[in-house]
Amino acid sequence: MSWFGFGFNGFGQISRADVSGQVKCKVNSPVLISDDECKSGVNRSDRRIRACWSSRADLQQTQSGSGVYLSGCVCGPSAQVCVSQGCTDALISETHLTLSFTDRVELWEIKPQQNQLVWKREHELSAEHTAALPLVSGGFVQHKPPFFHPLKLCAVSLVLGSEHALLLTADGTLYSWGSGSHGQLGHGALTSLEDPQAVEALWGVPIKAVAAGNWHSAAVSSGGDLYMWGWNESGQLGLPSRGLEEEKRRGNGSGNDDQPMNTDEKSQTDVFISIQAFPALVDIANMSEISRISCGSRHTAAVTSAGDLYTWGWGQYGQLGHGTEHSTDEPTPVDYFSSHSLSVKDVVCGSWNTFVSVVPKETSSVLTETHPGLLN
Amino acid sequence: MASVWTDIRAVLPSTVSEFPLDFSEKIDLSVLKCLELSRDQLYSEADCPVSAERAQIIIDYSWEKLNIGTWRDVDKEWRRVYSYGCLFKVLSLCHGNPPQNIIQEAVRTCDMSLLMGAAIMDNILQRLVGILRNKIKTTCPNKAERSEEPFSKKRKHDCKSEPVLNPTKEVPRIHCPSLERFRSDFLDPKKPVIIEGITDLWPAFTQHPWSIDYLRTVAGCRTVPIEVGSKYTDEEWSQKLITVNDFIDRYITGTEEDGVGYLAQHQLFDQVPELKEDIRIPDYCCLGEGDEDDITINAWFGPGGTVSPLHQDPQQNFLAQVVGRKYIRLYSPEDTKSLYPHESQLLHNTSQVEVENPDLVKFPDFSRASYEECVLCPGDVLFIPLQHWYYVRSLELSFSVSFWWS
Repeated sequence: MSWFGFGFNGFGQISRADVSGQVKCKVNSPVLISDDECKSGVNRSDRRIRACWSSRADLQQTQSGSGVYLSGCVCGPSAQVCVSQGCTDALISETHLTLSFTDRVELWEIKPQQNQLVWKREHELSAEHTAALPLVSGGFVQHKPPFFHPLKLCAVSLVLGSEHALLLTADGTLYSWGSGSHGQLGHGALTSLEDPQAVEALWGVPIKAVAAGNWHSAAVSSGGDLYMWGWNESGQLGLPSRGLEEEKRRGNGSGNDDQPMNTDEKSQTDVFISIQAFPALVDIANMSEISRISCGSRHTAAVTSAGDLYTWGWGQYGQLGHGTEHSTDEPTPVDYFSSHSLSVKDVVCGSWNTFVSVVPKETSSVLTETHPGLLN
Repeated sequence: MASVWTDIRAVLPSTVSEFPLDFSEKIDLSVLKCLELSRDQLYSEADCPVSAERAQIIIDYSWEKLNIGTWRDVDKEWRRVYSYGCLFKVLSLCHGNPPQNIIQEAVRTCDMSLLMGAAIMDNILQRLVGILRNKIKTTCPNKAERSEEPFSKKRKHDCKSEPVLNPTKEVPRIHCPSLERFRSDFLDPKKPVIIEGITDLWPAFTQHPWSIDYLRTVAGCRTVPIEVGSKYTDEEWSQKLITVNDFIDRYITGTEEDGVGYLAQHQLFDQVPELKEDIRIPDYCCLGEGDEDDITINAWFGPGGTVSPLHQDPQQNFLAQVVGRKYIRLYSPEDTKSLYPHESQLLHNTSQVEVENPDLVKFPDFSRASYEECVLCPGDVLFIPLQHWYYVRSLELSFSVSFWWS
């Protein structure tokens, strides 16, 4: 298994600085994430990536044990550092690094000179805690005091937007709470909630995966359907966005900004969606079941069971991987992988970038796949 | 004429050590790094351009921070970071010999900082926009076609129903009352009144009478927030940022295809100090407890047919009419119950009733509430006591200035 990355690389978090110390700020097509010398003997199937705006954390399982390797802003554009041996999961933000070990969780504040341990919690060794961070036994961690929040619900997955949280329980029920200012809670109103509340519109639809962007939310049903809600400012919901339409018009009509819209365009304005306060089924032509989902601050990426990657939303830093810096409100396949006979397995978004793990496509699969991009 | 870049550069500190970048620890180290790199690049060589890409990164990152939480709760430090991003973008745009469209983009960037950012480096963006404004050639298109009369009156909205006033309900008028008289007869008893004669000497009526051409000259290239939709309680209501010239072309002199646009409740006079020179804060504001700096001055500029639904404000208000006429109806706070305020927190100071077309089945008590009304004409200043409910509809193209004070 290999990892590819694309999008914001202002700190060398995807592709390190060249010999002159320069980084390419925007990587708009997938590039292979290089393996580091210090990790020779990496069992590649056990590499996972976590990213924040300016940095990337790689979790590696090696023969000598597991560890976290950081790249990007935290260690300068041309270096990669190993920060902790024996850790099994990690989360990184602009200010904090959370490390999970078999017996404890540690939260470190990232400092210019030396990182500082600010919070720690031991697990009982018997505790069968396997869920990924930010979940920890008995609750979840957040990168601001009081760091630990207890949970009454038994969660299998928890994701955090900039002001809201989505929680998935073992029976496939989705809960949300926090700020609802952009419809990101999915309860139909723009009000905020202190405590987790089940998303009623998804009652009876068992959910298997969730993701949260800064102001948007995504859920995948056990049948592989995608539901999205929240702010559609850059088309991140895969629904028609007025902002994008206006941007397109401005781009096309250079010097002709004042032209009123023609009637055709005008008739479409009714369907633009700025805020979607209930989960909306996002229908994507020719797309098979969705297996994985991840959200950046304002973009979304989904992996299908056929091994294809689709991206949409904000694309100004190349985070959609389409070889451009355009945003789109239409889920669009990333052709790079299919054209290189690679099958996408997983996707993890940073704020303005995207990381995917791939395996070579089995040569036996000679299904005459139609090219989804051509049919839209 | 000196080159744009020479003039811009002259506003900057002469050495890197005089260029301040002081932020609280709330600002992430990563973005601080971007800010420092931008600054250092500016001084790295004699005449080094700033990276447009990095300036945009700073703008985009802080923009996301500005959109987290309610506007009131956004940390001012992030608004300062946003302004630094705008500053670096302006410097990047103006390097060399920028063409007109790039200067316009730089002016827009300054305005975005003035609208969403916070003052940095002795309000450097305000100073820069003052320089850039003069570099924009004011040869407006269609100049020959436009009439020179102050405001042409050709929009259809203008014909919309002229109100018939009930003489028993008209707001009283008074000419230049003394401070004592105003206090005892109107301010203390909370009675609305139209004060005449106090705007006679405003430059907006004398030296530079406000006209479409004058507004284009003084503020045409400036980006302002406008409201689209006939009133803010409508489903379809939205806000957008466009230049004053675009606003005039599309919503004032243009066709009606774009709906009703209203430059409403905007502190235009802080953004364009030249316009502030044309108006005067009414002397009666000194009867309040606040300083002059605490007075909020808003511009209200739009075509005929704009409506402000029946609502109340938490401050005393002088509404001065400069151009055109407005129909206004006032209700006392004692009648609040009969006015059916919205229940939601956001709109609790707005009535659900359409004043000029009330649904008396849904809101039966509305007809019982007593009111006063008037048509506010150029030169009139209406005193609206705090918490008085009022409804406003422009009868034709109109420019009003409101002074909120306490």
